[in-house]
Amino acid sequence: MGTTLSYTEIELIQGLQARDEKLFSYLYDHYSPALYGVALKIVTDDASAGDVLQEVFIKIWKNIDRYDPSKGRLFTWMLNIARNTAIDSLRSKAHKLDQKVQDVTSANLMYEPQLAVHLSVDHLGLTKVIEGLPKDQRVIIDLAYFKGCTQEEIAKTLDIPLGTVKTRMRNAIMQLRILLKQL
Amino acid sequence: MDARFIISSGLIELYTAGLVSDIEGRELEAAMQQFPEVAEAVATCQRNLEEYVKLQSVSPPESIKIRLLNLINTDPLIQGTATTADNLQFTKTSPMEQTNVLSVPETKGVSWKWIAAAAAVLLIGSVILNFFYFNRWKEFREYKDKYQSLLLSQNSIISKTNEYKTRLEQLQESMQVMEDPKVMKVTMPGTASFPTAIATVFWNRDNQQVYLKVNNLPEPAADKQYQLWAIVDGKPVDMGVFEMGDTASLLQKMKITGKAQMFAVTLEKKGGAVSPTMEQMYVAGKIPG
Repeated sequence: MGTTLSYTEIELIQGLQARDEKLFSYLYDHYSPALYGVALKIVTDDASAGDVLQEVFIKIWKNIDRYDPSKGRLFTWMLNIARNTAIDSLRSKAHKLDQKVQDVTSANLMYEPQLAVHLSVDHLGLTKVIEGLPKDQRVIIDLAYFKGCTQEEIAKTLDIPLGTVKTRMRNAIMQLRILLKQL
Repeated sequence: MDARFIISSGLIELYTAGLVSDIEGRELEAAMQQFPEVAEAVATCQRNLEEYVKLQSVSPPESIKIRLLNLINTDPLIQGTATTADNLQFTKTSPMEQTNVLSVPETKGVSWKWIAAAAAVLLIGSVILNFFYFNRWKEFREYKDKYQSLLLSQNSIISKTNEYKTRLEQLQESMQVMEDPKVMKVTMPGTASFPTAIATVFWNRDNQQVYLKVNNLPEPAADKQYQLWAIVDGKPVDMGVFEMGDTASLLQKMKITGKAQMFAVTLEKKGGAVSPTMEQMYVAGKIPG
């Protein structure tokens, strides 16, 4: 986590559960870039991503009581909400499965970092990771993580055997780990 | 399966990226419980992916935060705690676990529930009111029937009362005539042919008015009518026809005559005859004195 928090995660959760607006504001300031980045990766247009982000924070605000710290970190929980909300939004816009796969195959552009348009929080790190991660590894992570594709869909999209998905995903994440350590 | 095999199998990476089946996921979760190093490997893998995500952070437009703060302050649906169970619950540690689950957006879910709840409340209220008003209506219908029958009996009582009143007036009139000392009473007994017949004439000699009271005469056929005659100097003079039925019990006003020695009643064709049919003479009475 690149940001130094002046609240511990427990303080943050308790404050949110007490409906403390100040802590909500703090949470937003610290997590919205990451969650907005996820939304943008998934829905790919600014307006939809903004809607998704707003919905995500409303869900967080309303459902903070359901967050169970024993099952994972707050960030992981929020990330799941962001991903699910964005993918739902994508699907509700008549993006059927076929079209989703097609989008992914035809528009490799969307996997390129959006540095040109948006001010990234840490573009140097991203650039390093993007440069160090072979494209086929980056695509497999993005398909799974940002598009919610199944193993079968990935195999079909990348035109590789089903068994290869597993090894390629493992290699991709191991490579990612090495790159992250170098930052 | 030992921990090292699991860690090197690639399953953890698939799991973290959300690419395993439910069964595989449960197996791995069981292994996480059993081997701390497997749990650690999953956590590491998760952090790697999350860091990768964080690297792609983009600052959102400032307007979204302003809108959000406004929303949580003003919207009552957002201020309250959600009551719906949806995809937000953590069931597994994998961050990818629920990406393939289509879920209804939260805000819509809640507003629909509110609408549904409101609709249900309205429906129940409507049913209760319907029941209430239906009973009221049934009662009202009963009352209406009762009211109408009361109205009917009221009307019949009024008409009866009027009838009695008229009758009373007629009787009083008759009484006045009979009580008048100037009125002479002439009893007409039955003739030889009709011995049970009897009628009475009341004759006011002052104003010459003649009244008739039927005491006992048989009902005539529909085309016949009784006619009263006054015998003046041996000649019959028409005193008019009179009604039978209910009217027969009353004193009936006849024509006037200043002179008469005798009164008689004959049965004639309806409307009366010019001269009496002697064979059909029912009653006859001489004026005393």
